[in-house]
Formats: sequence, C-alpha cells, structure tokens
Amino acid sequence: MTTPAAAPPALDVRGVTVRFAGLLALDDVSFTVAPGTVHAVIGPNGAGKSTCFNVLSGLYRPAAGSVRLGAAELTRLAPHRIAALGVARTFQNIVTTQGTVADNLMLGRHALSHAGFAASALRLPRAVREQRAHLAKAREIAELTGLGAHFDSPVALLSYGDRKRVELARALCLEPRVLLLDEPVAGMNAAERVRMTEVVREIRAELGLSVVLVEHDMGLVMRLADEVTVLDFGRAIAHGTPDRVRRDPEVLRAYLGTTSGEDAA
Amino acid sequence: MTGFLDSLFNGLALGSVYALIALGFVTIFKASGVLSFTHGSLLLLGGYLVAVLHDDLGFAGALAVAVLVTAAVAGVLDRLVLQRVGGSDPHAAHIQTIVTIGIDIVLVTDLARRIGGDLLPLGDPWGDAVTDLGPVTVADSRVAAILVSAVAIGGAFALFRFTPWGLSLRAAAEDREAAALMGVRLTRVRTVAWCLAGGLAALAAVFLVAFPAPGLERTTGQIALKAFPAAILGGMTSPVGALVGSMLIGLTEAFVAGYQSDLHVLGEGFGDVAPYAVMVLVLLVRPAGLFAAKGAARV
Amino acid sequence: MSDLRPLLRTCGPYLLTALLLCALPFYLDAFWLRIGLFSMAAAIGAVGLGLLSGTAGQLSLGHAFFLAVGAYGYVWLAGEPGPGLPPALAVVLAVLLAGAAGGLFSPVAGRVKGVYLGVATLALVFLGHHVLLTADSVTGGFNGRSVPPLELGGFTFAESDPELTVLGVPFGGEERLWYLGLALFALTWFTARGLLRGRPGRALVALRDSETAASVMGVHVARYRSAAFVLSSMYAGLAGVLLALSFRRVVPDYFSLALSVDYLAMIVIGGLGSVAGATAGAVFVTALPLLMTRYADQLPLVAAPGSGGGSIGPTEASRYLYGAAIVVILLYAPDGLHGLARRTRARLRRRPPVTGPPGTGPSPGPAGATTTDTSDTTARAKEHTP
Repeated sequence: MTTPAAAPPALDVRGVTVRFAGLLALDDVSFTVAPGTVHAVIGPNGAGKSTCFNVLSGLYRPAAGSVRLGAAELTRLAPHRIAALGVARTFQNIVTTQGTVADNLMLGRHALSHAGFAASALRLPRAVREQRAHLAKAREIAELTGLGAHFDSPVALLSYGDRKRVELARALCLEPRVLLLDEPVAGMNAAERVRMTEVVREIRAELGLSVVLVEHDMGLVMRLADEVTVLDFGRAIAHGTPDRVRRDPEVLRAYLGTTSGEDAA
Repeated sequence: MTGFLDSLFNGLALGSVYALIALGFVTIFKASGVLSFTHGSLLLLGGYLVAVLHDDLGFAGALAVAVLVTAAVAGVLDRLVLQRVGGSDPHAAHIQTIVTIGIDIVLVTDLARRIGGDLLPLGDPWGDAVTDLGPVTVADSRVAAILVSAVAIGGAFALFRFTPWGLSLRAAAEDREAAALMGVRLTRVRTVAWCLAGGLAALAAVFLVAFPAPGLERTTGQIALKAFPAAILGGMTSPVGALVGSMLIGLTEAFVAGYQSDLHVLGEGFGDVAPYAVMVLVLLVRPAGLFAAKGAARV
Repeated sequence: MSDLRPLLRTCGPYLLTALLLCALPFYLDAFWLRIGLFSMAAAIGAVGLGLLSGTAGQLSLGHAFFLAVGAYGYVWLAGEPGPGLPPALAVVLAVLLAGAAGGLFSPVAGRVKGVYLGVATLALVFLGHHVLLTADSVTGGFNGRSVPPLELGGFTFAESDPELTVLGVPFGGEERLWYLGLALFALTWFTARGLLRGRPGRALVALRDSETAASVMGVHVARYRSAAFVLSSMYAGLAGVLLALSFRRVVPDYFSLALSVDYLAMIVIGGLGSVAGATAGAVFVTALPLLMTRYADQLPLVAAPGSGGGSIGPTEASRYLYGAAIVVILLYAPDGLHGLARRTRARLRRRPPVTGPPGTGPSPGPAGATTTDTSDTTARAKEHTP
C-alpha cells in the first residue's frame, strides 16, 4: 500500500441541523475529526447517528450548518462529488451489488478511474490498461482486509462477516482520506468482531486516514477511538476521550443507563 | 364560445372516465408498488363481456356481470400470479410490473382474436341521443359518463376514507413493513385493490366505447394507457392527484381535438396523443409528478 | 505454440460460431436467411435494451421509437426526398440521430427511475407514431417509404449491382445482408461485452442494485442513467437501420407499442443483464411467429394465417407463447434462458461428485474455490432484478 502523501484535512462539522417532517433528527450538531484520528459517534438508537453519516456523505442536505473537509464545503455537494474528494463510507445494513468481490471492489475504484462508455465499448488499450492496474490495486486491498481468498467469489455466497468486510474493502478502494464506518461490527460474532477491529486498526495505521465510526459495541469504541461524540435525540451531549465520555454523568444517564445490556466496561 | 363549452364538457367527460382508470392504477400502486400494465386488457375484458352479454342480460345486467367478473379476474391474477413473483427480492414490485406486461400480452391477444376486426356495440341505453344544455348540445352518453363516474369515484373515495381496508391501504402505502408488523394483511389489501381497480376499468370501458366512439374494437384497451399520464401527473400515490391529473389530461385532449384546425402544425389526431405530450412536459419540470408527496425521493 | 492454447480456448468457440454463421448462406434458402437477418437485427436492439433495462434497471417501453428513428433516419438521409447522402454515411448518422433523440429525452431518462421510466417512455412510442404518420414529407405518412439499398464502395447490398455468384451460389439481397448483419451484430457483441465488463457496466449494475451505494462510491447517478438511455437508443437505431434494409420498406404501424413489448419480452426471456441472453431471447421472439407461419398446417391448434373465424393464427399463437413465457420465466426461472444454460453447464461440469453434501450454501473460509461451481444458482439469484 502506498501511504497518502499528506495527512488528511480535518473534517469540521458545524451546527448541522436536519428536519424530517417537522421532527428534529439532528439539532445543531458540531464536532471536529482531527486529521488521522478515529472519531466515534455513539448514542442510543434513533439518536441521529446514521442521519449524521448521511449528511457527511451527501445523501441528506441539512437545513442548517456546514460540513467542511479542509477548504471544501460538503453540504452543497452531490454524493459522487464528495466521494471524489476522498470521503468513503460503509452502510449499517450491507449494501453490496451483484457480482463478485472483485466487481464490488472495482466499483470502489470508480472515482479514481476514467474509462468512459466509448473507451470501454471499444476496449481501447488505455481502458484495458487502466482496468488491469485497478484490478491489481483492488486485489491488494482485498488481501489487506483478509478477502484475498474470496476475490473472485460472488458476494452473495459470502458469510455475513465477509460481506461486511467487502463493504469496508470497497470503501478503502476509493483511497479515502476520510472513512465513515456505520456499525462495522453489527451482527458479527465475537471472532469476527476481533478480526474487524484489527483490520480497522491496521488500515488506519498503514494508510493514515481519518475514521469516523458509528458503533454500538462500546468495547470496540473504547479500544479504537481517540475521540468520542455522544448524540442523544439529535443533540451532541458530550465530547472527549473515551475515558472522559465514559464517566460523563449525562452520558451515563442518556445512553449507558438506557442500554443496561451494553458492555460499558 | 360554443366550441369552447363543447370542448370543456367533452374534456370533463373524458377526464372522469380516465379518472376511473387512473384511480385503479393509484390504488394498485399504493397497495403493492406495482404499475399495472394489465389495465388495457382488463378494460377490454370488461367491454367485451358487456358486448357479448347485453343481448341476454340487458345492459345493466351485463354491466354488473362485467364489473364483477373483471374485478374477480384482476383479484385472481394478483393472488395467483403476481403475489408469487419475486418473493423477498427488494425489487419484487418491479418484477411484478414486468409480469403484468406478460399477462397483458396473453389477455389482449386472446380478446383481440375474439373481437377480430369487428366493432362491437355495447347496447347501452343512451345510444346516440343528445340533449341541449343551454347553448351546447351534449351527448347523453357523456352526461352519463360524468354522472356514473362521479358516483363511482365518490364510492371509491369513501372506501379509502371510511373502511378498515382504506386505512390498511394507506398504512401499506406509507410503509409496507411497518404495516405488516401492525397486523395489516397485505395480501388481502392488495388483492382487494386489484379487484377494485378491475371493476373500475370495466366500468370505464363502457363509456370509452359509447357514442360518439364507434364501439368496442380490439385496440380499445390501449386507451387505458392514457390514464397512466393522469396517474403520473398526480404523483402515483394520491387519489386526489389522479383525479386532477385525469381532468387535466381529458381537457387537454378535448381542447386539442376541438381546436384542431388552429393547431394543424401538430398534425391531425394530435388530441389522441396530447396526454403523452403533457406527461413528458410535466416530467421534465417535476420528475416525481405534480402531486408527489414531499420526501418521496428521499434516499 | 503452447502460448496460443489459452487464447485458442477462449477464442475458439467464437471462431467456430463465426465460421458456422458465415457458411450458412451457402446452405440456407431466403426464408431461413430472412429469419436470421431479422433475428440479428432484433438481437442488436435487444442487447441495447438489455443494457438499459437489464443492467441499469431502467424499464423502457420506448424502444420502438428509437428503432423507428434509426430506420427512418437512414431512409431519409440516404433517400429522396432527403439529403441523399451516401448510404454508408447515412447508417452512421442514423445511429447518431437515434442517440441524439435519446439524449433529448435524458432530462427525463436521467431523473425518472425504474419502472416509472417505463410509463414515461410510453409517450415516445405514441408521440413518435403520431409524427411518423403526420410528417409525410419526411416519413411518407401512413404508407411509409421504400428503403434505399446500402452501398459500400460500389458494392450494393441488394439483388444485383454487381451480380454475384460465390461458389456456385447466387448471392442475392438476403445473402449479402446476412454478412452485413453478422458484422453489425459482432460489433454489438464486442462493444456491449466491453461495456458490461468495464467501468461503465459496473456503475450501471450498482445503480440498479443500490442507487445510494453507487452514488457514495462516486457514480454520477443522473449522468449514468442518461448515458445508459442514449446508449440503448443507439443500439436500437442500429437495429432499426438493419431492419429497414431487410424489410426494404418502412411503415409507421410496425413501430408500435407492441414492438417495444416484443423487445422487452426478448430480454426477459433471455435473462436480464446478459448479452448472450438478449441474443437468445431475440432469436426466440423473432423466429417463433415466422416459423409458425411457415409450418402452420403442421401444428396442432394453429390455423393458417387469414383463415379467420376466431381461430388461432400463427402470430397470435406466438404472442400467447411469449406472453406466457414472460410470466412463467419470472415465476420460476427469473434469470431466463441465460440462467438456464448457465445452470445446465454448472450441472454438467459437476459430473464427478463433489465430496461433501452437494449444493450446500456458502462455505466461509478459504474453501471458496470448491463452492464456485455449485454456487451459480444462488449467486445469480438477483440477476433478474430490474
């Protein structure tokens, strides 16, 4: 893997507000993802975590507020433009497309490749060369995420955990500067969780990208995150290091208190 | 002035018949997410039944039988064919839509073969009689079309509003999964929707082929497709929208036909295709239709 | 020499098929050649519709319109009245014209998705038919126009000029057009496969399976939807040209909604989203009525055409058959002929019984290689998704 030349710019979320049919899904939410850190966004169900991700990736347009990646204002950009700026994401419920792992990863290379309709139809040498180069890159990323053995298998045949990793690998194929992970270990068994945690840790160390993480698994959050933002009913009620947030009385009341089954240790 | 009133009246009559069909589209779409391309053949079936039965049963009897049989056929098609297609595939409704095209091919082929090159009279009581309404002379058939459609549409709206089925239909249209969780029996809701739509289509057939149209032809079914623009204009999920869209389409068609001599650049018979031109224009401006619920295009 | 073997293995079947197809005009009479010609034209159009409806998931019932643009475009450009351009140039321009017509519709085609586009494209068929009927000076009105033969460097694709006999077989219009059709079909096959396996194809599949995923991966949703529409229009235009050349006369009534539905039937029967499937479906839907007409007297239940009296003519019989085929295929084998062939192949390849329970579901871990051949059925379970 080549390491990105420069550290990623900071992702700055300021006063983001989203309304659905009069309901406040996000209310004046602000946080900053420092370059190269893992920033977790946590909160009870319905707190607005996924909405927040949808704003960051351009699927929702907020009623107010701004999201800046370095100098670029993201809230006015279409999703594909945001992707081209190097923001990649995974989904809470797996969203893969038909075909093999390779096909899915190659979709991740879309924004980085250029072959258009005419070049592909006529199989111009440059389109063929480009495809070959990107396929090699995709295979490399598959190896990195532990999908090397499945590279040519249809996604539909993979286990749940592997399919979640396909999503991660596809996002990595974008060579992102900011990676948004929406519940990367949800629904996984213990062994798969450990593996996923390792993978996230590894890619962050190797690629030096910023990671924004939405996750219910507090263990994972505590182990991975440098900084945590806690959402409750669309409002950011706490910020800080995992240790500080864990002791914050308001967080305990709003979040940990309501989900007694959660591993708070 | 007479020309204007003529066109206005014709447009309203035509619009109310389109509304019968468009309401069917909307009901089916709300219940199942399927766009029914089978409507042409259902309409043709209804008309054909009236044509062959009216000698024995009288017009009213034949119409009643036609409406019931067409409703039953629609319901059976939904229950026995469409609901079995696609399974849990998230795109099941889309696949079912293509199946409705397949069903339509079979039904239309069969009915067209039976009708052949003939023009079948439906034996309707208003025939070619006309009435003077102030300055304009109107065909009785069109007065009947407006009155009967108004009653049928009112009935349909009452069903939407006041029956448990109507409530279920709205719940299903909002969120199919949530509705199912709340105990709405989706299979029954959608089968009833198909029945209602089938019955309305049969009713519409009678007025589409009444005077001054020459009678039932093998191509009559294609007229049903003109209600698609009406339903699309209305945003596909709104009965009121479908009603307004139908009137818009009916009036457009009638006025274009009425002022044909002034519009000769558009060519003879442009009135017949004017609804489609309106649809394209509207879709250019508002791809989700005029009355689409806000947020329908949400990701 | 050994370097050539893998190449031969991949290209071998193609070469063999091509040779076989090239040899056919020496053995078949005009009737069969015409079936082949119409099938090839239909296959070109069906591949185009397959890219749009099968791969990108955008239903279109407007295909007949673009076929008409191609056919009439060629006739007008190469004919009189019209600019009377060299026919070969007219072919190229007619295809571009069809693409441009698709492009004009792209504000709708780019933003209206899935089956809704099917309704929107109804407008094209009806408005197009109206224009064909009324714009007499260009289209010849109800009676249509005769098609000027294609001429390429002094060689005419028609009965004569020059007279031609190859290996003792007189080469008339059908024989000559056969090779033209083959060349155009090969071009279609080559380009469509290239598209599907390349970056645009993957983007279109992603659009169909999840617009959201596609857009966050950097796919410009509206642009790709429009592009798929333009592309499918161009294939339709090419098919229209070949149809016009084969029919030698174009009339408006041919380009009706029923024709659009025929093309939809082709790709559904063949299996959405595959070039080979679209081709197979095109041959089936095209050849069926022609064969039934020819052999009507030998078929039970089918009457000769024109015998009337409510009997089932060959056209009707074939419409029953493929209408029912659409329903049955989507009910029981959603991936169509293509999937059927694939499953049969997979079954044949599995002859030596695999150890362990056959056909078990996904097996995680590095044993993936052994599951690939049993997997085809489940793997493609979503292929039909429109």
